[in-house]
Amino acid sequence: MGTRSERAVDGEAAVGEDQAPPSEAASRRGVFIGKHRLAAAIACLDQEIVSLQKELTELETIEPSSASCKEVIASTEGKPDPLLPVTTGPENSSWDRWFQRVRSNRNNRWWAHKTSDFS
Amino acid sequence: MSVAELKEKHAAATATVNSLRERLKQRRQLLLDTDVATYTKNQGRSPVNFSATDLVCCRTLQGHTGKVYALDWTPEKNWIVSASQDGRLIVWNALTSQKTHAIKLLCPWVMTCAFAPNGQSVACGGLDSACSVFTLSSQSDRDGNIPVSRILTGHKGYISCCQYVPDQETRLITSSGDQTCVLWDVTTGQRISIFGGEFPSGHTADVLSLSISSTNPNMFVSGSCDSTVRLWDLRIASRAVRTYHGHDGDVNAVRFFPDGLRFGSGSDDGTCRLFDMRTGHQLQVYARQPDRNDDEIPTVTSVAFSISGRLMFAGYSNGDCYVWDTLVAEVVQNLGTLQNSHEGRISCLGLSGDGSALCTGSYDKNLKIWAFGGQRKVI
Repeated sequence: MGTRSERAVDGEAAVGEDQAPPSEAASRRGVFIGKHRLAAAIACLDQEIVSLQKELTELETIEPSSASCKEVIASTEGKPDPLLPVTTGPENSSWDRWFQRVRSNRNNRWWAHKTSDFS
Repeated sequence: MSVAELKEKHAAATATVNSLRERLKQRRQLLLDTDVATYTKNQGRSPVNFSATDLVCCRTLQGHTGKVYALDWTPEKNWIVSASQDGRLIVWNALTSQKTHAIKLLCPWVMTCAFAPNGQSVACGGLDSACSVFTLSSQSDRDGNIPVSRILTGHKGYISCCQYVPDQETRLITSSGDQTCVLWDVTTGQRISIFGGEFPSGHTADVLSLSISSTNPNMFVSGSCDSTVRLWDLRIASRAVRTYHGHDGDVNAVRFFPDGLRFGSGSDDGTCRLFDMRTGHQLQVYARQPDRNDDEIPTVTSVAFSISGRLMFAGYSNGDCYVWDTLVAEVVQNLGTLQNSHEGRISCLGLSGDGSALCTGSYDKNLKIWAFGGQRKVI
């Protein structure tokens, strides 16, 4: 996948090639490629600078991490969680379907009650 | 402008970028007044307390003849699709352990798979750099194989991860070794948007994983070999919304926290981290205790949260499957040491839609279902 700058370079190099001897054309093309690649890289860096400066400005008004930590704790509370030994309700009876008798089409495999030993 | 002048300009811009990055790093450090574990412990909370027989392996899904690389649950039913080194996708009814489909892939080097939200299609991708979609109700051929319904081509590198946009059977996101993520229209096969690549603020190395927010499906995060996680808005492909620094190695796994405002990540540096999406703060590092027996630090291959977010499941390259108490940042169980545990690396894991079961996939060729089999206290 060529970058936009490389595709532009190929077009420009073709224009110069008709008139000059091969070695001069090649070195001129080398200069075109160098300039365009550099220009494209500088444009990228300039965009990055704008983005980093914007982020620095945002950080002046952003809350410290303690505010987010408080939200994290709050978000885990009050949500029924079938994998926790202690959880808020309501409990859903389908949570324990993994331990209930299940008949499959091919055989009569079933699983013991959840408190059984699985060894 | 001459080449020499341009080179000078380039050097100056590079120096400015480096200086700004350093200032950002320092400013962020000042804003980290606490982490989740310190805040939680200051409130006097204790870790989740599992007894030895609380989390049990209640199913072993056997059938793959090669390493399991990826798995995905349907949002509502008990079905799982898995992808393996054996070049097949298998669709399982996890409750009965039955295989409902075994799909032989055109390209056997598959790395990822995903279930469509309605459970009627599955997608996969890998070293063929394409994402193949199969409709499960399709008529199978003489050999029992389902024909591919759609092949999404355009990536210039391997497909590391694919996920359907929640509640949308027609849109899917892929991440790739070509350093980009792509949003696809599955019905037309067209790329809707490309995230990264030619545009600045894209990843600068292979993208290995992605996770879409369930509370705001316009937002997704991607983890990369460039050690960063980046946040993207589906509506704005031109640049990443934010870049999250912290890991010291490839970010192999990312997963949104259930509230959709935080996300967890797992890396080759052996740690998991919790980041705040909006502020960019690194809220917690989950680091293993150093083990004298470890020649190398085990890497994190996969990460998932329980439905409340209180538990974080992390699969490691040495076969461990740690259950972290997300708030206290302590390991409260290791599924890798329980009875009937896997015999190899955990490569992938995921929670069922209702959060009642965890499925793990391993290099030992099996998948296992884990659920809570103890006495539950409901308050």
